[in-house]
Amino acid sequence: MPLPFIILFLPLIAALVILLGTRRSGQTSAMVSVGSVLITLACAIAMLFGAGEAASLTWMTIGDLTLDIGIEIDSKTRSMMFIVTFIGALVHIFSLQYMKDDDAKARFFGGLSLFMFSMTGIVLADNFAMMFIFWELVGVSSYLLIGHWYQKNSAADAAKKAFLMNRIGDFGFMIGILILFGLTGSLSFSDINNGLEIAEGASESKQAGLLTLATLCIFCGAIGKSAQFPLHTWLPDAMEGPTPVSALIHAATMVAAGVYMLVKVSFLLYAAPLAAEVISYIGCITALIAALIATQQDDIKKVLAYSTLSQLGYMVMAVGFVGMGEFDKQGPDSNIFDPANAAYFHLYTHAFFKALLFLGSGAVIYACHHQQNIWKMGGLKQKMPITTGTFAIGTAALLGIPYITSGFFSKDSVLAATYSKPHVFIPALCTVFLTAFYMTRLFVVAFLGKAKSDDAEHAKEVPPIMFLPLVLLAVFSIAAGWSFVSKLFGFDSHHIPHPHGLLIPVLASLMGFAGIGIGFLIYRGKEKDPIRIPLLANKFGFDELYAGIVRIFQDTVAYVAKALDQILIDGLLVRGLGAITAGTGSLLRRLQVGNLQGYAFLFGLGVIAIIYFLIISV
Amino acid sequence: MSLFLYLLIFLPIGACVAILSGAPARLTALVVSAVNVAICALLVLAFDSAHNLTIFQFEGAIELLSEPQLALSVGLDGMSLILVILATLVTLCAVWCTPVSIPGNQRLFHICTLLISTGAIGAFISTDLFFFYAFHELALIPTFLMIAYWGYGHERRAIAWKTTIYLALGGIILLAGLLALYANIPTQEATFNIEALTKDASQIPAGTQKWIALTLLVGFGILVSLFPFHSWAAPAYSAAPTPVAMLHAGVLKKFGLYGLLRVAMPMLPEGFNTPLGFFFGDLTVMNLMLILLLGNILFIGLVTISQDYLDKMLGFSSVMHMGYAFLGIACYNAVGWTGAVMMMFAHGISIALLFALCGNLRQRKLPSLDLDSLGGLGKSAPTFALLFGFAAFASIGLPGFANFASELLIFLGAFQGADGEFGMLQIVTILALWGVVISAVYMLRAYRKTFQGDTGETESIPDLSASERWPIIILIAALLAIGFFPGLFVDIIKPAFTAFHGAK
Amino acid sequence: MVSLNEYLLVSGLLFAIGFAGVLLRRNIIVIFMCLEIMLSAANLSLVAFSRFNLSEAGVPNYNGQVLVFFIITVAAAEVALGLAIIVALFRARRTVHVEDLDSMKN
Repeated sequence: MPLPFIILFLPLIAALVILLGTRRSGQTSAMVSVGSVLITLACAIAMLFGAGEAASLTWMTIGDLTLDIGIEIDSKTRSMMFIVTFIGALVHIFSLQYMKDDDAKARFFGGLSLFMFSMTGIVLADNFAMMFIFWELVGVSSYLLIGHWYQKNSAADAAKKAFLMNRIGDFGFMIGILILFGLTGSLSFSDINNGLEIAEGASESKQAGLLTLATLCIFCGAIGKSAQFPLHTWLPDAMEGPTPVSALIHAATMVAAGVYMLVKVSFLLYAAPLAAEVISYIGCITALIAALIATQQDDIKKVLAYSTLSQLGYMVMAVGFVGMGEFDKQGPDSNIFDPANAAYFHLYTHAFFKALLFLGSGAVIYACHHQQNIWKMGGLKQKMPITTGTFAIGTAALLGIPYITSGFFSKDSVLAATYSKPHVFIPALCTVFLTAFYMTRLFVVAFLGKAKSDDAEHAKEVPPIMFLPLVLLAVFSIAAGWSFVSKLFGFDSHHIPHPHGLLIPVLASLMGFAGIGIGFLIYRGKEKDPIRIPLLANKFGFDELYAGIVRIFQDTVAYVAKALDQILIDGLLVRGLGAITAGTGSLLRRLQVGNLQGYAFLFGLGVIAIIYFLIISV
Repeated sequence: MSLFLYLLIFLPIGACVAILSGAPARLTALVVSAVNVAICALLVLAFDSAHNLTIFQFEGAIELLSEPQLALSVGLDGMSLILVILATLVTLCAVWCTPVSIPGNQRLFHICTLLISTGAIGAFISTDLFFFYAFHELALIPTFLMIAYWGYGHERRAIAWKTTIYLALGGIILLAGLLALYANIPTQEATFNIEALTKDASQIPAGTQKWIALTLLVGFGILVSLFPFHSWAAPAYSAAPTPVAMLHAGVLKKFGLYGLLRVAMPMLPEGFNTPLGFFFGDLTVMNLMLILLLGNILFIGLVTISQDYLDKMLGFSSVMHMGYAFLGIACYNAVGWTGAVMMMFAHGISIALLFALCGNLRQRKLPSLDLDSLGGLGKSAPTFALLFGFAAFASIGLPGFANFASELLIFLGAFQGADGEFGMLQIVTILALWGVVISAVYMLRAYRKTFQGDTGETESIPDLSASERWPIIILIAALLAIGFFPGLFVDIIKPAFTAFHGAK
Repeated sequence: MVSLNEYLLVSGLLFAIGFAGVLLRRNIIVIFMCLEIMLSAANLSLVAFSRFNLSEAGVPNYNGQVLVFFIITVAAAEVALGLAIIVALFRARRTVHVEDLDSMKN
C-alpha cells in the first residue's frame, strides 16, 4: 500500500473505529485518534524526505469517463502534508487536556479524525472530482466540530451558517469544474493544464470567456472555504467551536485549503487574466475589511479570527497576481519567484504562528475559566510566563518583525508580488499597520498590566501537555523563515527576488513599528477601550445585511412559491379540474328526471334520431 | 434462474394468502421480505455484468395468450437489477418499521404492504409491456386503502381520494401513450414483448413519435411527480402511514423514470428530439423535460424551504430530487443515464430512510411535527440525532453517500461531449446546481430545529430502540457502501447503456 | 279498393295514439294498455305488408304473418311480467300514479 494512501485512509479507519466501537468511552476514542494522527505525522515526515509517489485508485469508469482517487505529489504537497499532520498532532495532544471534562469526547475526536482524513484528501488530490469530494467532507467535519456543543443555540446556528456558506461556494466550484470538464473533457489537473496550453494558441473569444467564467467559479469555492469577502461571515461565528478546533481548522488548515487549491490550479490564471484581477481585488478587500473590524473586537478568539481572515486575504491577493507579466510561468517545484509561491509561502508560515496564537488563546481561556473577553483579562504575563512568551513570539511572527520571524519573509514576498499595482499595494501596506495595531492592542490588554477580573487573578500556567505544543509551534514560527528549513519544504526563503531592493521590507517594517508604537501608546494601562467605532465593532453590519437578504430573497420568495403552488397549481389546475368534473356531473344529473314518462319521451326521441341517421342521411 | 424472478412476485402473494388464512401478519411479512432480499442477493451474485448487449438475463415466460402474444415474461438487465435491489431492501425495512400493534385490521395492513411491494417488483422485472403497466396499477389500490384507513391527519380520506384519482389519471394518460405506441409499431406478429417491440419501434415516423413521446412524458411524469404534476405527492406522503410513504416515495415513484428509460427512450429515439410545432414552437420534448425539471428543482425547492411541518417538508423534498433524475435522463448519454439509475437507487433509499425516521418521531407522540415546536431532541435521543444526521447529509448529497456519486455522474454526463458548445442542457444543469444549496438549507434547518439548540414543547423523547434502529442502519449502510464503492453498481448498469449510446 | 297505404296509415295512427298515451296518461295501467296499442299497430302493418306484397305466383309472403304470432306471444309474456311489476310497485308505493314514482330523480 503506497505511503500516501496510509496517510489518507488511516484517520478514516480511526473515525470508523470510534463510530462503531469506542463511542461510549471518550478516553479510548481520544487515544485512537491521537494514535492515528501520530502515525500519519511520522509518514508525513518520511514524505518530506522524499518517500511517497503518485498513485491512483479507480472509483468509477463509464466508457471514456474515469473518476479516480488519484494522488499527485510535488514539493507543495509534501510541505502541506507536514503542516497538516504536524499541527493536527499538536492540536490533538492539546485537546487531550482542553477537552478532558467534556461529555462528548468520543464525538469530538471522531470529528477530528474525519477532518484529518478529509484535509489529507484535499492535499493529495490530483483531479477536480477528488478535490471536490474532500472539499465537501472538510465542510461536514467543520460542521460537526463547530457544532460540538450543539445544545447551545449559537453553536448550532454557527455550524449551520458555516456549512451553508461553504455550500454556496461549492455551488460555484462545481460550475467551474463542469465548465472545465466541458471544455477539456478531463478532470485531472495535469490534463487540463495540457489541454489549456493547446487551447491557448487557438483560443477564440468564446473559449476565453468561458475559461474566465470557469476560473471565477472555481474561485467561488475558495471564497467559501477560505472565507473571503463576501462569504466571510461564517468564520468569526465558527469561534463557537472549541478552541483547538479553531486552531486546527479555522486557522491553519481548512481555510488554507482554498488558497492551496488556488495555488495548485494557478495555471488557469495564465489564461484568464480578468479572473486573476478579480481575485486580487477580493483578497485585498478582505484583508483590509477584516483588519479594520479586528481593531474593535473584544473577544480574544474573534480578534484572531478576523486576523486569520485578513491574512487569508493576503494570500488570495498574492495568487491574483499570477500571470501579471512580470513573472513567467514556472513549474511547482521552481524556486524562481512566482506569486503563487509567495502565497503558498505565507500560507505555510501563517499556519504555524496562527495555530500558535489560537492554541495560546486556548490556554488563556482554559486558565481564566473560559473567560474570552480581553477586557476581563490582564496581568497574565506574571502568572503564565510560558504562554505569554510563546504568544509574544506568535504575535511577532504575525507582525513580521524583521529577519527574526518567518512571518517577515513571507509577508515581504506577498507585498513584493503586489507591488506592481499601487491600488492593491497601498491597502496591503495599510493592513500591515492595522495588523500591528490590533495585535498590540490584544497583547497589551490581555497579557500586560494588572488583572482586570477575578478569573484573571486566579489564572495559573497550563500543564505541560498544553504548553509543549505552544513551544514547538513557537520554534517553528521562527525557524520556518530560516533558509535551510524552508528548503526542506520546497523553497528558499532567502532567494526571494526583491525587484525594488530593500524598499518593501523597509516600508513594511516602518508600518509595523508604527502600529506597535501607537497601539502601546493608546492601550497601555487602560481599563476599557478608549476608542469606540460602532461600525467596526458591528463588523460593518454584514450579518444583518445577509440576514435581510436571506429574508427577502429566500424566505419571501419561498413563501411566494408556496402560495403560487397552492393557489395556481393545486387550486386552479388540480382542484379546478376536480371542480369542473363535479360541475359537469351536476349538470348532467338533470337528465335523470326520475319520471317514467320523461324517460319514455327521451327514448322516443332517440329512436327518431336513429331512424333519421340510418335512413335519411346514410 | 427465472424461477427466482417468479418467486420474487409470487412469494409475497403467497404470503398474503397465508396471512388471510391466519398466519401471524407481521412475522410472515418480515420473513417473506427477508427471503426476497436473499433471492435478490443471489441474483446479484449470478448476474453477469460482462454482457455487453441489452439482453435480459434470467429470462422466463408463462404464456397466457398466443394471439396476440401475451405472456407473463420476466427478465433482468443491469437497470432492473438495481431497482429490484432497491425494492426488496425498502420492503424489508418498511415492514420492519411497522409498529407491532396497529389499530384496525392488522392482517389487511400487511397484505396491502406486500401487494404494493409485489406491484413494484413485478413492474421492474416484467419484459412484457402489458404486465409492466398492470403491475404498477396493482400497487395503486392498496396505497389508497392504507392512506384512507391508517393514515395521519384529519384530511386523510380526502387526500387518499385525490392521490388515487390523480395517479389513476396519470395511468390513463400513460395507457393512452402506450396504446398509441403499440398501435403504431409495424410488427410482423402481435406481441407485447418489450425487446421485440423495441426492435421494430424505430420505424415509426418522427412526426408520430414526438406526440407519443409527449404523452408518455406526461403520463410517466405524473407518476413521478414531475412539475407541474406534483400536487399529489406532498399531501400523500404526509398523510400516509410510514411503510406506505417509504414504499411509494422510495420505490413506486421510480416506476415512471424506469419506464422512460426502458420503454419511451429506446422505442422513440427521434421522438424526443423533434421540434413539436403548434404552440410549442421549436421546443422538443427533451427541451420541455429540461424546463419542467427546473421547476422541480428550483420552484419546488423553494416551496420546500417554506414548509413548517417536517412531514410535508420531506414530501416536497422527494419531489424536488426527482428533478435530478430527469436531468440525468435528459443527458441522453451513458454517463447521464447511469447516474439517473444510481440516483433512483440512492434517492429511494434516502427518502425511505427519512420517512422511517419521521415515522419513529411520530410514534413518540409529539404534539405535532411543526418544526417550530420541536427542538433540542438530540440531548435525550443521541442515537436518533446521529442517524438522522446521517440521513440528512446523505439526502443533500454529501460525498461518501450514494446520492453524491449519482449526482456527480449526472452533472458530468450533462457536460460530457459538450466540446465547448454550451447549450440548453448545460445551462439548465448550471441552474439546477443551485438545488444543492436549497436542499442544504431546508435539510439543515430541519435538523437544527428538531435536534439541536434549546428544547421545544417536548423536553425529551425516548431514544431509538434496538428494533427501530436496525432498518435505519441497514439503509444507511447501503447508502454508504454504494457511496464509497459506486463502481459496484456502475459496472452492473453501464453495459446496457454503453451499448445503446455507442460507448461514448 | 283499399290499398296498402290506407292500412299503413291506420297502423301509423294507432301507433301515434299509443305513443301519445304512453307519454301523456298518468295511470300506469293505462300506459300499459297504450303499449299494447303500439304493438297492435305494428302487427297490423306487418299483416298488411304480407297481404299486399304478393310474389309472382300470387301467393302472399307469409313471413310477416308468422312474425305477428311471435309478437303476440312476446306481448303476452311481457304483459304478464309488467303487470307483476306493477302489482309489486303498488304494494310498495300504494299508488298507480306515475308522477308519484320519482325517487330516482337526480
